[in-house]
Amino acid sequence: MSNFAQKHRGWTRAQVALAFLVLMAAIACGLAVYSSASSLIVLSREAFSVLFLPLLLSLVLAFLLDPLVTQLEKLFTRTGSIFIVYILTLMLASLAVLWLTPHWQEFWSNMGADFPRYTEQVIVGLKNVISALHDRFPMVAQYDLPAKVHSWGEQLMSAVLAETPQSAMKVGGLLVIVPLFTFFFLRDGRSILRACVTLAPNRHFEMVRDLSYLVSRQLSHFVRGRIIEAVIVGLVVGCGLSLTDIRYAPMLGIFAGVTNLIPYIGPIIGMVPGILIAFVDLGAGGQFWWIVILYILIAQVLIDNFILIPILISRVANLHPLMVFFAIIVGGKFYGVIGMIIGVPIVSVIKIAMLEIRTYRRTFRLPESNLEGERLH
Amino acid sequence: MDPLWTNIFRKKLDEESLAFFLKHLPIFSELSPRALQILEGIVHVRSYKANETIFEEGDPGSGMYMIRSGTVKIFAGGQNNAENELASLAVGDFFGETTLTAPAPRSASARTIEATELVGLFRADILELAEKHPAVCSVIFLGLTRIVSERLQAASLEIRRLKKQIGDYTATEGIET
Repeated sequence: MSNFAQKHRGWTRAQVALAFLVLMAAIACGLAVYSSASSLIVLSREAFSVLFLPLLLSLVLAFLLDPLVTQLEKLFTRTGSIFIVYILTLMLASLAVLWLTPHWQEFWSNMGADFPRYTEQVIVGLKNVISALHDRFPMVAQYDLPAKVHSWGEQLMSAVLAETPQSAMKVGGLLVIVPLFTFFFLRDGRSILRACVTLAPNRHFEMVRDLSYLVSRQLSHFVRGRIIEAVIVGLVVGCGLSLTDIRYAPMLGIFAGVTNLIPYIGPIIGMVPGILIAFVDLGAGGQFWWIVILYILIAQVLIDNFILIPILISRVANLHPLMVFFAIIVGGKFYGVIGMIIGVPIVSVIKIAMLEIRTYRRTFRLPESNLEGERLH
Repeated sequence: MDPLWTNIFRKKLDEESLAFFLKHLPIFSELSPRALQILEGIVHVRSYKANETIFEEGDPGSGMYMIRSGTVKIFAGGQNNAENELASLAVGDFFGETTLTAPAPRSASARTIEATELVGLFRADILELAEKHPAVCSVIFLGLTRIVSERLQAASLEIRRLKKQIGDYTATEGIET
């Protein structure tokens, strides 16, 4: 025993120091690697968050314009046809801006005065409801809902006013970046995809090429379908509203169109401001009911569900309502309002890709099992 | 620079170019230079090591391969069965053309014998080409149909010959017994 201890002590003197140093060096190395890795992750996440929105918008725009460019390509070169499409788009966009600017200015100048009026009306309505409730459930009075709504309304208004110059800067930046990105996606999209596919190993190359084609075709159909659907619903709502005396009809139409990108919840959010403004300004008369019918029956049921969705969007891409809620909540957590709008399409896109891969594999599994059956006989 | 040398250099490059290789395949012999240029943009050049599997029997097939350099063995039977060699293909040969238009599982396996460079043409690329350049696509399809028809004809002749052989064989058997 003592022999062992002596031996051990003799062994430690020289080498524990070395072991200690090695251990410290290892820990230092580990920390260095860890910190650099985490800072790398942070860096890449920041880069991604800066690029995310412009990249996404440019991809969507590229999907939208691609069929037009491909049609023109029969007559001109690819770059030439992209320029022609750009000039046409620019003309359309400037016409839209020219038409929208007076409405936009009216909207902004009146909103400061109107918004408190609308919240005031909501509060009055709420107070009525609460006093009615109070007669039956006395404990509700403990919770001062009208005051809450008032402060929420003020917060929302001040947030919108403060955010506008910032978001104007952002939009200005996007207006420069998005067309640039879109141009390169349109011109080199195929070769970018080709380059990615080329990276696949020889053994799986064929399948990857096939799947990339199938998935990108489905995706472009889906994106195009969704955007066209939103534009048509927005147009129908905008036109229908301009027939009445309601204010901000074009703005409400655009809002309904944009929110229509979110399934299930979007249309409801889209109709809230319109119905609220109609109720406050026009009262519960014939025009109010016309607006309600327009939003629910004409725009949603008739145009969207009976005409547009069957034509434009395959049932394949339909998500379970629960998935839609998850996508909206998680999207909102990551990227705010924009995240809420794009969360659902992104989940749909993932679903489409997975479904395509599954059907592809199934298509080829059936004959293969037949072959094996034949071999067994 | 001596102009003579640069000229020689350029000539050699031309012969090594992908378009030159494609032009000398029977499927693409009718293509114009511009169409060849377009075709050059949609094919995939892949290099394989020796003894590398290109595809196996039953794999989803989606296109054809042309051999630019090296040799390829086509065989039936998987890992368990003994390999039954069907053909050994060399530079300028092509295989897998039956799955180019109709999605079907591969009916045989293919493996490289030496380091090989293959030029692949796949259904996805052909379908994209059909949208953008229908005229070029139809010329390619004409060439493909010609080749497939020739092979079909040869196969049906072969079947007839074999049937006749079987008939003769059973007839002689019948006489003997």
